[in-house]
Amino acid sequence: MQLSPPDPDILSRRAEIIARLSALVPDGVVADEAGLAAFDGDALTAYRQPALVCVLPKTKEQVAAVLALTAEMGVPIVPRGAGTSLSGGALPRGDGILLALTRMNRILDIDYENGWVIAEPGVTNLSITRAVEARGFYYAPDPSSQIACTIGGNVAENSGGIHCLKYGLTTNNLLAVELALPGGELVRLAQNDGGLDLLGVVAGSEGLLGVVVEATLRILPKPPVTRTLLAAFRSVPAAGQCVAAIIAAGIVPAAMEFLDKRCIAAVEDYCAPGYPRDAEGVLIIDLDGIEADVRDAVARVSDIASAAGAHQLREATDEGERARLWAGRKAAFPAMGRLAPDMLCMDGTIPRRALPEVLARMAAMSEAYGLGFCNVFHAGDGNLHPLIIFDVMKPGELERAEEFGAEILRLCVAVGGVLTGEHGVGVEKRDLMPAMFSEQDLAQQQRVKCAFDSAGLFNPGKVFPTLSACVERGHMHVKGGRLPFPNLPRF
Amino acid sequence: MIKCASEADVVEAVRDAHGPFEILGAGTKRGFGRAPEGEGLDLSGVSGIVSYEPDEMILTAKPGTKVSEIEAVLAEKNQCLGFDPPDWGPLFGSPASQGTIGGAIACDVAGSAAIRYGRARDHLLGFRAVNGLGEAYRGGGKVVKNVTGFDLPKLMCGSFGTLGPLTEVTLRVFPEAPLSATLAVTEVTTEAGLALLRRVRSSPLEATGLAYMPGEAVAIIRVDGAREPLAEKLALLRELLSEHEAYEVDGGDALFGELGGGAPLLGSGLAVWRIAVPRAQAVALAKEIAAPLWYADWAGGLIWAGTKVTDVHERAAKHGGHAILLRADDKAIAPFAPEPPARAALTKSVKAAFDPSGLFNPGRMWDGV
Repeated sequence: MQLSPPDPDILSRRAEIIARLSALVPDGVVADEAGLAAFDGDALTAYRQPALVCVLPKTKEQVAAVLALTAEMGVPIVPRGAGTSLSGGALPRGDGILLALTRMNRILDIDYENGWVIAEPGVTNLSITRAVEARGFYYAPDPSSQIACTIGGNVAENSGGIHCLKYGLTTNNLLAVELALPGGELVRLAQNDGGLDLLGVVAGSEGLLGVVVEATLRILPKPPVTRTLLAAFRSVPAAGQCVAAIIAAGIVPAAMEFLDKRCIAAVEDYCAPGYPRDAEGVLIIDLDGIEADVRDAVARVSDIASAAGAHQLREATDEGERARLWAGRKAAFPAMGRLAPDMLCMDGTIPRRALPEVLARMAAMSEAYGLGFCNVFHAGDGNLHPLIIFDVMKPGELERAEEFGAEILRLCVAVGGVLTGEHGVGVEKRDLMPAMFSEQDLAQQQRVKCAFDSAGLFNPGKVFPTLSACVERGHMHVKGGRLPFPNLPRF
Repeated sequence: MIKCASEADVVEAVRDAHGPFEILGAGTKRGFGRAPEGEGLDLSGVSGIVSYEPDEMILTAKPGTKVSEIEAVLAEKNQCLGFDPPDWGPLFGSPASQGTIGGAIACDVAGSAAIRYGRARDHLLGFRAVNGLGEAYRGGGKVVKNVTGFDLPKLMCGSFGTLGPLTEVTLRVFPEAPLSATLAVTEVTTEAGLALLRRVRSSPLEATGLAYMPGEAVAIIRVDGAREPLAEKLALLRELLSEHEAYEVDGGDALFGELGGGAPLLGSGLAVWRIAVPRAQAVALAKEIAAPLWYADWAGGLIWAGTKVTDVHERAAKHGGHAILLRADDKAIAPFAPEPPARAALTKSVKAAFDPSGLFNPGRMWDGV
C-alpha cells in the first residue's frame, strides 16, 4: 500500500495553520516533532506517518471551529480516538490536521429509565459499562481493546467484539449522535427520527462523513447468569460442524470463539488459560440469560459438542476460571506478538459453511508464502481473524505478509464473504475494495461521501482505492428542489 | 405503468425515463407518505426467494416477494423475520397479507417484537438496487458481520423508495421461540402501566412485547422460550409485577400482531400516527397529544395515536418524539416532520447522491425528496 505524497502547498502554509489552530484551541496544539511522533499511527503498526499538526479540542464548539478553519483553508483532517484501529483508520497525513478527541472524555448523562448513556467521543468503551454496572446495566459492544478504545472510534469503525453475535455491533446499540459536518455545522441524527437513517450510514463510515462530538448509547440489563464452556476438538472440521449445529438448533450464544492449535500453544505459553495443547482447535462458548434459559442451552450445547466429537468438554466452575478462559482468547494478539516482531491481523467474514475449505486453503497459503499464522475466529458469525507473523526488518517480508493477507481476503470474498467484519477498511484493505465491489458499487458509496463532504477533506486516502473529485462521481447538487429529467446527453 | 420482471428491466426503465416514477410492490401502502406522482414502476414481478440457508440464518429474496410467502418458508425451519413486520396494508384499505418484502423494508414496517430484535435496519445485511443513473449496484454483503465500505443497507430502510428501487434484499433471520406467553395486568393507570413496562424492559427477561392500552387500562407483556425457561420467566415476571395481579391471556401473539398493525385505530375515521419517543417521556407525550384513541408499544417507546389534532409533529417534538403520519383524510397534514435546515440540506444531498434527477418517488417524504 502506497501513501500519497503530501500536498506541498499545504506544507508551505504550516506555520499559518498552526497559528490559527492555536488561537482556537490555545492549550491543545501539538506541532513539535517529538509530540507528533506520539500520534504517528495506530494499531496497524506497519504504517507510520507524522501529522502536519495535531489538535486536541476539549469541546464540541472547538471541534466545530477547527472544522470551519480546515474547510476555509482546504486542509484535510484525520479524526482520531485512542488510535487502536487495526486498519489504519487513524493513520495521519503529512498534509493533514490530526483531530484527536481524547480530551473530550466526559459522560454527559446516564438515564436508566430510557436505557441510555450520553458520552463525548473520547470516553473509553469500557468506562461506559463501568459507569452503569453498579445498577446492573452494561454496554454490549466489547471490542478486545475496550480498555483503551473510544466511543467516537467505535462509532467510526462500527466496532464489534466477542459478544456481538447476540447483541450486535456498535450500530445496533447506537441511538443517536451529534455529528460535526465539514465546515463545522452540527447535526443531530437518531434512530427512528422520522427521516432517512443517516445515523446508520455514519456508523462505520471510518471518519469520512463527519466527526462524532456526542453519542447516545443503549445500555442493557446485565444477564443474571453467564456460563462458559470449553470444547476441544481433534479436528478443525469437527469444531466447524459443532458451530453449525449449535446455530442450526436455534441457540444464540452470547459468544462463540475458536482458536486453532498454534494459537492455543501461543496463548498457553503467554498466560496459561488452561486450553488443552493436544487439541487441533478449541471453542469457547458463553451462554447468558436467566438461569433456566442458560441451563437449557448449556445442556443442548454440551450434547451437540459431544456429538460433533469434542474430546474434552468442560465448564468453567467459578468466575475465576471463566475469566481465565476469556483472558486466553483476548490475549491471542499479544501472545502471537511474542513469536515474531510484526503481525498482521486479518478480519474477513465468511459464510460458516465455507469454514473447512477456507481453513485448509489458508494453511496451504502459509506454506507457499513461508510465513507463520494462526487463527482466532468469531465462530458464531463467521468472522475470521488470521494473524500473520513476520519481521518487517527482513527484506520483502512485509510485502509477502500483505500479499498473504490479501489472498486470504480475496478468498473470503470468493466464498461469499466480505473483506472486513469489524476492523474496517482504512488504508489496510483500501486497495482490495474492488475485489468485493464493482466500479458502480464503489461510485455509489463515494457519491454518499460527496453528499456529506463535497470538498473531500475528511480522512482522505482511507476506504476508497481512488478518490475522485465529487463532480466526476456524477454527484449533482440540488438547486431549488427541482431537478431535471434524465433523457439528457449527460447520461 | 411499467411492469418489471427482473433487475435488467428496472435498469432499462430508468435509462429510458421521461419523468419520475412511483415505485410499487403490491401497492398496499400507496397512501403512506405524500401523494405519489409519476409513472408506476411495478416491481411485483421481480419476486421470488433467491436463496435461503437455514444453517447460516440468511435469506435472499427479490423485492416483490410477499412477506407472507417468506414467513411461511421460514416457519418450515422454525425461523422468522426478527423485525416482526406486521401487515399495514389494511390501514390503507388494501387486502390483508399482500405486502412485499421490498415495501416492508422501504416503509420501515416493524412490529412489537422489534423492541427485542430491532427493526429492518438491524436485519437488512445487503441489497441490490438501481440508482438514478440507471446503474445496478449492490450495498452491504451476505454475512451477518460486515463493515466493508459504507453501510448503505441502513439508508434503504425507511427511505420510502426515494433512493431508488431495490432489486434484491438479503436479510438475517432468527430462530422462532418454541413457546410464548402473555401476561396482562388490568385496571392499571397510564402512569403505572407504562412504569411497569419500563421496569420489565430494564430486567433481563428479554420481553418480546410490552404494550399498554389506556382504553382497557391494561398492560400486556410477552415473554418466550422453551418450556422450562418460559415457566421461569413467567415466575420472574410475576415477581417483578408484585404489587399487581397478572393474568395469563390466550392469543397473545395475535393481540400483538393487531397492535403492530394498527388494528385498534382502523375504521375510527381519525388520522393515524406512529410516534417514536424516549420511553420515559411516553406519558407526557400521550397527555400532550390527548388523542381520543391511542396505545403504547415498545414499553412506551412507540405511541400509536388516532387523533384529529393536526400539529402532532410539534407536540411530539416537545418530548423528544418523532411522529410519522400513516393515514389521514386531511391531505394537508405533512406525513413527515420538517427537518431543521442543516439536516434537511444533508437529506437532499443524500437523495441526490442516489437519484440526482429526482426520478424515484419524488416528494414522497418532503419537497424534492
